[in-house]
Amino acid sequence: MTFDVKDVNGTVVVALTGDVDLQSSPVVRQQLLECLDKHKRLVVDLGAVSYIDSSGVASLVEAFQVSRKKTAYFALAAVSPAAMRVLSLARLDKVFTIHADVNAATAAQG
Amino acid sequence: MTAATAPAIETITPPPLSAAEVKDHLSLIADMTLVFSASHSFDVVAKSALERVAKYVGAEAASFFMLDDSAQTLICTACYGPVDITGLRLPATAGIVGRCIQTQEAGIVRDVRKDADFGASVDAKTGFITKSILVAPLTVGTQRLGAIEVINKNVGDNLFSPNDLALLHTLSRAAALAIHNLRLTDKLVLQERERHELELAAEIQRDLLPQAQSKDFPIHGINVPARAVSGDFYDILPRPDGRIWFNIADVSGKGMNAALLMAKTSSLFRCLAKSAEHPGQLLNAINSELCETNSHGMFVTMVGGLFDPATGVVRLTNAGHEPPLLFDIMRESFMSIPADAPPLGIATGIAGPDGYPVVELDLKGGSLYIFTDGLTEATTFGGGMLGLDGVRALIRDHTEESPDLRLKHIAGAVKLPGKPLHDDLTLLVVEDNGVRSAPPKPPGVQFEANAGVIMRIRVPAMADRLKLIRTAAMQAAAYCSCNEAWTQDLVLAVDEACQNIIRHAYGGVEGAGDIVVDFARDGDSLSVFLMDFAPPVDTAQIKSRDINDVRPGGLGVHLIKSVTDDARFLPPPPGVGNLFKLTKRLPPKVDCQG
Repeated sequence: MTFDVKDVNGTVVVALTGDVDLQSSPVVRQQLLECLDKHKRLVVDLGAVSYIDSSGVASLVEAFQVSRKKTAYFALAAVSPAAMRVLSLARLDKVFTIHADVNAATAAQG
Repeated sequence: MTAATAPAIETITPPPLSAAEVKDHLSLIADMTLVFSASHSFDVVAKSALERVAKYVGAEAASFFMLDDSAQTLICTACYGPVDITGLRLPATAGIVGRCIQTQEAGIVRDVRKDADFGASVDAKTGFITKSILVAPLTVGTQRLGAIEVINKNVGDNLFSPNDLALLHTLSRAAALAIHNLRLTDKLVLQERERHELELAAEIQRDLLPQAQSKDFPIHGINVPARAVSGDFYDILPRPDGRIWFNIADVSGKGMNAALLMAKTSSLFRCLAKSAEHPGQLLNAINSELCETNSHGMFVTMVGGLFDPATGVVRLTNAGHEPPLLFDIMRESFMSIPADAPPLGIATGIAGPDGYPVVELDLKGGSLYIFTDGLTEATTFGGGMLGLDGVRALIRDHTEESPDLRLKHIAGAVKLPGKPLHDDLTLLVVEDNGVRSAPPKPPGVQFEANAGVIMRIRVPAMADRLKLIRTAAMQAAAYCSCNEAWTQDLVLAVDEACQNIIRHAYGGVEGAGDIVVDFARDGDSLSVFLMDFAPPVDTAQIKSRDINDVRPGGLGVHLIKSVTDDARFLPPPPGVGNLFKLTKRLPPKVDCQG
């Protein structure tokens, strides 16, 4: 798993690539929480996620909960079919703010 | 004057008999004496004897009245005549027969109507009319047994003669002697039977003790009863897992009541130990059972324990028993293990929720001696009590001997030849040979592959190996020609199940053990068997969380259940800690030819 962090017009975009599993999710979790610590807007790009498990989903949930506390903006973007399958199984597709692509996610006001 | 006031009994000196009468008398007396003495049961010959006497003197009826054990009641034990009054009971002083017993005088009552002591109630009941009575006491020495009555002479002048009385008196003496002898014989027979029953009880009790153990067995015991039956016992009960239950106990009191309680307690131990794991809980259960039915203030002191020869560790509970001695052979020193619970059978609710207190002892190559007070309080050759110091000295003296021989010699040192012990003596030794068997092989090295297996993968339970397992799952799905979506779900379920093994079964310790995954084709399903070598998990604790509860963690089980058709724990094969099976129906085949 790799990730790429960039700033798009004041929104931090973290792009995850590969498998988000028990091995990699602690790193993902830490990265997302650090971003939320410094920034008010965070988009996670899941377009290149080939696999995500419950621990990866848990990292996203934790980041979502922190953003709510801080009234920060947190959205998912370009969720890959593999990741979407797991999010919908977990009924989280209705909890997270999900955009079709990164541009829409960064442009959205929240 | 309607009733006579003075006794109507006549004691007349009989006139001399003719030679023929003497011969007849002697012949009858000789006959009757022979019948009485040859009989094993007086009641059997009594009736025919009465008939012969009655006919001989020409009387209508005759009966034996015997005093019962309390000497308060007369019972008719046999009778001859037109009415059967066998079993009739009268007060010991009632009637003419009662008077005869009280005064010890034989006599003739020629007209009962003139005798104030005559009781008409029996006649009233039976319809029989008593006119005259001949009566003689049955006596041996000063012991009053009863009386013999002959009623209503109906030959000649219908009057009983002094010669009739003399004859009855002689016969009554012979009968009394016969009755007395038979009663003595009965008593001896009863004593002999009781002795025989006691022997049988002792034999059954010996059978309750364990068989002699082979010389290299770690636990040995000996029991020497003070009487035929014993209130002490011990037991040795090997378990299938190699550990051994043992106990030693002393029932309060001696004799048959103690022996019966011993039998009950030893059966309880044997029965309850088979399903017990913990000596404290075992003794607590025995105590509850004893308290439920025990009475007479009897109780049992007991040391019960579980010895593991593989580790040399004994876990024991001491309920009011003599403190066992742990002998350290290297240092030649003793440690005493006092009782920290009261004896069994006194009260329930003594122990806490974990039962009676348990002491854990590492024998470290030493020996644990457990004994009853029959040993410490035994009299030695010098005349004093052996005491704990004496026990210690005997153990030291016989250390070099094999355990079975050692116990015999220690018991023999206090069992003086020809003298019974004053209390039962029981002694048990638990020996640790100090040899530790090799640690158990890493579990799960060998076990059968599951039926229909396509592939088996075995990896250390580490997060960075999950990708290997996922790849394997993907390849297994590909082997079964499954589509991508189906494959993704299978991969998710397998991955989540493996995560649970790493995080929960192995407690999150990376590489604490292995994970073995079998992918197997099972008809129209793919089965995945996930095995670990961790201690069994409490499956009741594993549940799918409420999906509306949005928080990190706890999602795995929900995901597994969502994407499989069945997911469950199965009894693991030997050597495997947990076995979790996933089943997912294969997707329907797509006809590519269109």
